[in-house]
Amino acid sequence: MIRWALKSLLSNKGSLLGSAAGIAGAFILVIFFDAVFRGESTQIVAYAENTSPDIWVMQKGVANMHMATSFLWDWKADNVEELEGVKRVTPISYLNTIIRAGEVEAFAFIVGLLPDADRAGPWEMGKGRKIEKSGEIVIPDVLAKLTGTGIGDKVMITDRAFTIVGLSKGAYSSANAIAFVPFDDLESILKSGGTYSFLLVDLEEGYDPRMMAAKIKNEVEKVNALTQEEFIRNDFAMAMQMGVEIIFMMSVICSTLAVLITGFTAYMQVVKKKREIAIIKAMGTGRASLMGGILMQSAMIAFTGFIMAAGFSFVIIPHIPALAPQLTLVVSFWAVAKMGLLAIVISIAGALIPAWNVTRLDPALVFNG
Amino acid sequence: MKKIILRSNGLKKHYGSGHTEVRAVDGIDLTVYSGEIVLIMGPSGSGKTSMLSMLGGLLSPNSGSVEIDGIDITSLPGNKLPQIRALKLGFVFQAFNLLEALTVEENILFPASLKTGGKKEAIERADDLISRLGLAGRRNALPKTLSGGEKQRVAIARALINEPPVILADEPTGNLDSKSGQEVMMILHDVARDEGCAVVIVTHDPRVEDIADRILWLEDGLLRDRKDEEHHWVYDPVCGMRIDEWTATLFSEYEETKYAFCSKRCKERFNETPESYLRLNDPKG
Repeated sequence: MIRWALKSLLSNKGSLLGSAAGIAGAFILVIFFDAVFRGESTQIVAYAENTSPDIWVMQKGVANMHMATSFLWDWKADNVEELEGVKRVTPISYLNTIIRAGEVEAFAFIVGLLPDADRAGPWEMGKGRKIEKSGEIVIPDVLAKLTGTGIGDKVMITDRAFTIVGLSKGAYSSANAIAFVPFDDLESILKSGGTYSFLLVDLEEGYDPRMMAAKIKNEVEKVNALTQEEFIRNDFAMAMQMGVEIIFMMSVICSTLAVLITGFTAYMQVVKKKREIAIIKAMGTGRASLMGGILMQSAMIAFTGFIMAAGFSFVIIPHIPALAPQLTLVVSFWAVAKMGLLAIVISIAGALIPAWNVTRLDPALVFNG
Repeated sequence: MKKIILRSNGLKKHYGSGHTEVRAVDGIDLTVYSGEIVLIMGPSGSGKTSMLSMLGGLLSPNSGSVEIDGIDITSLPGNKLPQIRALKLGFVFQAFNLLEALTVEENILFPASLKTGGKKEAIERADDLISRLGLAGRRNALPKTLSGGEKQRVAIARALINEPPVILADEPTGNLDSKSGQEVMMILHDVARDEGCAVVIVTHDPRVEDIADRILWLEDGLLRDRKDEEHHWVYDPVCGMRIDEWTATLFSEYEETKYAFCSKRCKERFNETPESYLRLNDPKG
């Protein structure tokens, strides 16, 4: 039975590859959307992840960065800095708005940096230099590519022109492109003299961020203080509400599609071999052996599809951002491994009904010449 | 001494109910001995295939019993039947029914894989059958590369691999030309004589009558001995074979005349160029 199952599957390589390709297509979609999901998820909290202070301090009532507005009086930074255990406080101003480059507009998060605020970004430069004086801007290299701009070009934020002096790496996602301008320029745009948006707080060694955050909230008036972990979690949750949920839903839809394609392929495989299965049954093959053969065939088709999908995922998907820089893709080994397990499970689940039908197949079919 | 190998008592199979009820098999008693060749003939739709399916444990009767080698297969639970089919029965079909992905040798050995142990013996027997049935040069060939006659010889070897006491053959010469049909007939004859198998053949092919020990006629679900005077002989215009028009199933009409054929192949050939065959048979042509 095993020999027949293997040889009948391999005898029609075109059909095997066609079926496997159908399943691979569905798996590739799942892995692709998972990669987009992971890429966007990672990128959405990229600023917090890369700057990585121990504690974030913001206006009371604010608990995240995305789409949020926060104002803190500048003296509150001094209050925080005076607390025992605080090593350094780096204030930033922050605005989410549109950057215009000619006719092209792109949504961006603008971070205003004080002259000595290197630790607040950008964390990796691709081209050019960091900002040094008023009227300069560093934008993500991907955003420059999408807007057709480069070093020396002008971009507009509200009614103010900035000259691009540097292109940063790892600061772009479709949900948030992070641009850096001088603090005074952003303060002027925001008309928020004497205020900051967020404080990035670094602690002395040996101090617990959770305890220190509680202390800051307690001792500095009308502020919220969150550990890095809490702040990222809140930002991620906000990002999920903004659009990552859609990507997640698409992943679910593609997974469902993979199940349906695998089930349908298994069903078609049984339908195609119906007559041969009737012959085998007529000759005296038992139910368990028949079901085993059919399930093995389905598992093999799904496994072939999975291998094709995994090959594509590791070889092709990492090159997609070169063609579509606006996409941030992260292919996870575990996501692919999970897909392999899913492939086996859904192939067996998909083949169960046709395999069960096979055991009920009328072996007298063999007499239909 | 001849032993009863196959016996049916009051075998019935009805389809539908009420006004639409069809009595395909309506109380058949049949006894077949070892080494005996029994031919079952009858018009199309007379219940021959239903009867063969029940004798082979492929179809459950409404009532009655079937005994194979002393085992009442109609009272066996469903999960025991496959083993009976594998060990006690060999099937030969009109459409050969070989497994397309397997070689000649693998096809022959397939039923042997359904019984436990004896792998070495099975290979030796397959070698013997391959040699006896003239398939030595085709051992590793796939079915699609075989002629009709070769396919049927493989099917017969497959049916014999487990040395079953009963061979059930459904139109074994139906898809073969006259030469191959003749060969298959002689093989079945030898199987009965040499192996002591009881061979039950359902057919329309009058050539098979030559090797039969008994000819039975199935009509309206009932089985009876056929009498010689019920023949109505005509000739296949392609191969010239004598055919009983009353039992023939393959016909073709040309210029308002009805012709009967011994096989699908002859019918197809005739339909391609009917004039050539009619001219050939015309004494003036």
